[in-house]
Formats: sequence, C-alpha cells, structure tokens
Amino acid sequence: MTATQDRADQTGAGESAVTETRTINLIQAVTEAIAEEMERDSRVVLFGEDVGARGGVFMATAGLQAQFGKNRVFDTPLSEASIVGAAVGMAVRGLRPIAEIQFADYMGPGFDQIISQAAKIRYRSAGQFTAPMVIRTPSGGGVKGGHHHSQSPESYYTHTPGLKVVMPSTPYDAKGLLKAALRGEDPVIYFEPKRLYRAAKGEVPNHDYVVKLGEAAVRREGTDLSLIGYGGVMPDLERAADALAAEGVSVEVIDLRSLVPWDRDRVLTSVHKTGRAVLVSEAPRISNFMGEVAYVIQEQAFDVLTAPVGQVAGFDTPYPYVQDKVYLPGPNRIVAACVKALTY
Amino acid sequence: MIQPFTPEPIRYVAEDGTPVQPLPARFTPELLRELHALMIQAREFDRKLITLLRQGRTTFYAQSSGMEATQVGLARSIRVGHDWVWPYYRDHTLGLAMGVPMYELISQCLGTNSDTCRGRQMPHHFAAQAQNFVSISSSIASQVPPAAGNAMAQKYLGVDEITVCTFGDGATSEGDWHSGLNMAGAAQAPALFVCENNQWAISTSIREQTASETIHIKAKAYGMPGYYVDGNDIVAVMEVLTQVAEQIRGGGGPALVECLTYRVGSHSNADADAEKHYRTREEVEEWLGRDPITRVEKLLEHLGHPISAEERAELIARTHREVDEQVLRAEATGQPDWRIVFEDVYADLPDHLRQQEAFLRAEQTGGQA
Ligand SMILES: Cc1ncc(C[n+]2csc(CCOP(=O)(O)OP(=O)(O)O)c2C)c(N)n1
Repeated sequence: MTATQDRADQTGAGESAVTETRTINLIQAVTEAIAEEMERDSRVVLFGEDVGARGGVFMATAGLQAQFGKNRVFDTPLSEASIVGAAVGMAVRGLRPIAEIQFADYMGPGFDQIISQAAKIRYRSAGQFTAPMVIRTPSGGGVKGGHHHSQSPESYYTHTPGLKVVMPSTPYDAKGLLKAALRGEDPVIYFEPKRLYRAAKGEVPNHDYVVKLGEAAVRREGTDLSLIGYGGVMPDLERAADALAAEGVSVEVIDLRSLVPWDRDRVLTSVHKTGRAVLVSEAPRISNFMGEVAYVIQEQAFDVLTAPVGQVAGFDTPYPYVQDKVYLPGPNRIVAACVKALTY
Repeated sequence: MIQPFTPEPIRYVAEDGTPVQPLPARFTPELLRELHALMIQAREFDRKLITLLRQGRTTFYAQSSGMEATQVGLARSIRVGHDWVWPYYRDHTLGLAMGVPMYELISQCLGTNSDTCRGRQMPHHFAAQAQNFVSISSSIASQVPPAAGNAMAQKYLGVDEITVCTFGDGATSEGDWHSGLNMAGAAQAPALFVCENNQWAISTSIREQTASETIHIKAKAYGMPGYYVDGNDIVAVMEVLTQVAEQIRGGGGPALVECLTYRVGSHSNADADAEKHYRTREEVEEWLGRDPITRVEKLLEHLGHPISAEERAELIARTHREVDEQVLRAEATGQPDWRIVFEDVYADLPDHLRQQEAFLRAEQTGGQA
C-alpha cells in the first residue's frame, strides 16, 4: 500500500485519494485539530495547567485562548485530580472537554479520577451517564528530562477497561486521531510523543478528515518480517527497516496508532505474510502493552511463525537522566532483534 | 509570641530599610551581614548557573532570585542535620544556606560522576544525606504526605526533631497537599509546612490558583495555626520560623507558614519569556523594589553598619570564582556510565534486571559480555 492509498483508505470510501495538502509538524497538527473541532462544535472546551495565555509548556495550545476566549480555553489550578475529575463532570453534563495534563508523568495525581470515574461511569450506570472526553498529554523520552519528564505510562491505561488509548507518530494521524477522539463517545487517553512534536513533519489534507481509532497503518510493505511499534519509536523503526533493506531484507513496518482498541487483523495479516514479528516500544518491558500483542500473535498465528516473537522495550528501571540515550531502544537495538528473528 | 492568622504579612523591616518594630536582639549587624552574604551567594549562583545553561553545560534550571530571604531565613531557623527537610525543586538556595556543598549542587546540575545522586534525576533535583535534605521529586506536592509521615515517625520515636516541608503556591491546589496537611494535623505530628508563595505557578497567578485570599488561612481547616510572613524580609522570616519551629519542637503540633515573596525571573529555562506571555514588566519592577537583598543593605545602612561597594563586589567575585572552580572540578569527573541505569532500582539486582544489564553490557562493550 502506498502512502497516498493509505491516506485515502483512512479518509474513508467516497473521499478522493488526491487532495490538496500542506506540510506541518506534529504539534501544529494537534493545535489545528483542537481549533477546528472547537470551531465545529461549541461543546468542545479546553483546559489544563498553563494552556491559556502561555499556550502550554510545549505551545500546543498557543493562540487558542485568544481565538476562543477564556470561557472555552482556560488555565486551571495545579491539580490533575481536579482537571480530570472536572472533565468527567463536564462530559457527563454534555460538554466535550479536552483536558491537557502537562506531562504524562503527572497523570499520577489524576489517576484515580481516570480509572475510577472516567473509565467506569458508563459501565456502572448501564449507559445512563457517559464521559466522552479526551485527556491529551505529552509522553515518552529523548528530551533529556529524567524520569519525571520522560516516562511512557500507556500500559497503565491500556490495562483499564473503559478507556481508549491512542498515540500518533505523524502529523496526519495526530490530527485525524484527535478529531476522531473528540467526536467519539468514550474517554480517550491521547498520548503525544513529545520528541516528535517538531521532528515529525508530514502532509495533512486541507479538508476535514478523521483517522478512525483502532486501525493500524502500514508504513511500508515487506515480506520477511513484521516490525510493529507506535509513537516516538516509529522513526527508529523506519531507520531499522532502511538498514535491513540495504542488506536485502524486506521489512513490513506497522504503526499501531491505537492501543485500545488495536488492529489485530492488520497485525495478524502481516504476520501471516512474513512469519516473523518484532515488537517495539520504549516503555519498560514488564506488563508492556506489546506483551498483549505478542500473546495474540502466538495464539492466532503460531503455525506460521518461523521465529519467536521479538520484543524491544525500555529497561525495567526508572528512566534515567544521564544515559537516557542508552535507555531508549534505538535503531541498532531494533536491527539486532530483527536479525535474531531472521536467523533463528 | 507570634500571632497566627494575621490579616497582613508579619514584617520587621520596611522596604526602605527602616524597622517597623523593634528588631529582636540577636539580629546584630554581624548576623545581618552573614545573612546578606548568603543571599548574595545564592543570587550569584543563579546567575552563573543560567550562564551554564546558555552554554549548554546543563539542561534545566529553576531560579530562586527574589526568594532568597525566604529560603535563607528558613535554613537559619532550623537545626541543620538534626531536623529533616522535604524540599521542592526551587530550593537550591535553601540547600546552599543549609551547608550542602556547592560542589554537590553543581555536580547534580551537571549530572557528572561527582553527583551523589548518580545522574538519575534532571538538574536541580538534589538530595543531601548529611543535611537530612531528602531527595527532590519533580511531581508537585508529592513530598507533602511523606513529610507528614516523617514527622509522625519522629513523634513515634520520641526524638527532638521536626520535619520541614516546602512547596510553592501552586502545590497547594494538589490533593496531596491537602491530604498531607490533614494527616499531620490529625496525628499532631511535628511538621512545619512552609509555602514559598512566589505568586506564580508557571503562568498561573495565585488569583487563578485559588479563590482563597491567602494560603495560610487554609491551615485552619486542618487544625493547625497558619502564619503570614513578608517573605522578602529576612528578619521576619527567621524570627517567625524560629519561634514556630520551637513551638512545634515543644509538642505544639504542626503549623503552616506562608512566606509572601516573588519569583523575579522566569519559571525555568523552558519559560524564558514570562513577561511576553503572562505578566507585566510593571509587576516585576514593583517587586524588584521589594528586593530582599537591597532591604538588608538598607537596614544595615540605617543601623550605621553599611556594606561598602568593595565588600559587595568582593562577595560577588568570590561566588563567581567558587562556582567556576566547582564546575571545572565536577566536569573533570566525567559522566556516569551505562551501569547507573540498573543500580539502585532495588536493594539487590533481581534476575530480570541482571539479564537486561548483561544485554546492555554486551551492547556497550561490543559483544564482550
Ligand atoms: C504533578 C505535577 N503537575 C505538573 C507539573 C509541572 N509543573 C512544574 S512546576 C509547575 C508550577 C509549580 O508552581 P508552584 O508550586 O507555585 O512553585 P513555583 O515553581 O512557583 O516555585 C508545574 C505546573 C509537575 N511538576 N508536577
């Protein structure tokens, strides 16, 4: 599948495959998605620490308060429990809140509100009350931030039924997934890989589009091995695939984009084709979400596997400040895991 | 005895350096000069570290310029190395004034081999065992419940110590803050909570932070006295904190002290353009006029013991020399190697980490496991 076809697929049947596009970076994609959704739907409100006049610590919300006013874009007291809890209350009462948590590392104080309220209100009230809302937060390492500004806590949230969990790696997906999340009926944890904020540049169409949650993207097709990741590591997967291509190995690169729900079909189809899979994420290995992907592959594709499913993850240590490069699974480590699978 | 819940911040010295009430006898010109020197040292430390940041030799720095009286005053109100301190990330001036060696602070900021914390945390997150200065966590207000527990342990052990816990105004919005104060109040633990109210939490002003008129009145809800102090008046800070600390030491239960001060610089290097985005030059100028260092200089002048221009310049030059020397000394120790990733995760290395360590060793040494 080519990139253009892939995009055409994502925009859905009936959309033209050839559209006018612009090149933007990932953080601009986030800002645009919020602005366009606020324009489209007056129920959308945005709040968090420093999102207003300051425009967020990464400037993801720059200009939005000026554009939409303090009623719709506002700073909150420094309390993640209040931010998440208030978002739940607003959502129950009919708004579409976007709550920004300044760093994924600081979702801790809001954790109870996420797992006890946001995730469960639909189930426990049998749908009488629901909390459609989006919690946006920068996550992941590679910015010399030490453990409180570099963690990848997505697995805590994938482990909580009732939450949807997404992590884009391209501007196209960042915009489309955020719009889809805001138009959906469930609470969504939307992780933004902060090291790609400005590093990831790409085309987005000028027209309105969404990227449906739960569909993986095939970044390149291949026949020898399926290399599967999401978020901040995706450029490293591409680099690893380039290096292997130079050695004559054909790697299929898949970006999960959504973790809950995740695209089992896409992954299994690929593994049936290649017979080998290497899974990459930068979160610590134990209870890493990729463990679930590996389980499903061995359960559903055991017969076609020609090597054990490989996994490249962060170490089971807190994220260090110095030696942070050593912590992250770079292209070399990914290539090594692929070679191990290829030579099994 | 100092009164809690005063409508106005307690102060001893006006902005022009004249005492507004009699100075307690211990505030001799000698002591005032000593405090002044500590504040100058802290301010110049800020300046030099910001230079290091611009040179790319460190990656983060949170200034405390403007807040020196609060932090130096606190350091000089407690029994260093005896009492325990749960600080927050803006407290390097507190650390310096408590006698944490500058070399250690700089080593931590540079993440060198001489960092006693082994380069695990981002810059400006110290820990100093000799001073009972407990490791700083970035996560706002997360130190407050543990500080309550530290104080409960002191009560249980029957020791003559108190626990000091510091935080900014923003921290008082977090649930942890309320839980910690409530716990300490219920347990009547010997905890001294000190709010360094510099009026801004990044770009959020205290007025947007809380509808409460002041922070110290929140103490009432937790069954403890709350004190309101001019945090730029080092005499007031030291006098109030010393008396409150003694009261706590004597079994009086916990207390909250709000020091009203101002963060003159930006929140951190990530926020170097504060005035463009969220506050006015006029506001900053107004607070520059209440500068804690100038106030002591004016007080000494008023008392007939002025600090000469040469003396001041010498103090500044000495700090600059010292920082330069310690930076070179720290940098010469190099960076901790890959092993720091695995040490101190647990008391001993479990099997899965042993395997991961072997993997990394092989990778780092080119296959020689
Ligand atoms: C739980 C948590 N949420 C958000 C942050 C990001 N953050 C770092 S400093 C800061 C403002 C803190 O303000 P305040 O407590 O008043 O202390 P000050 O920096 O003004 O001294 C914020 C929001 C954090 N470190 N921890």
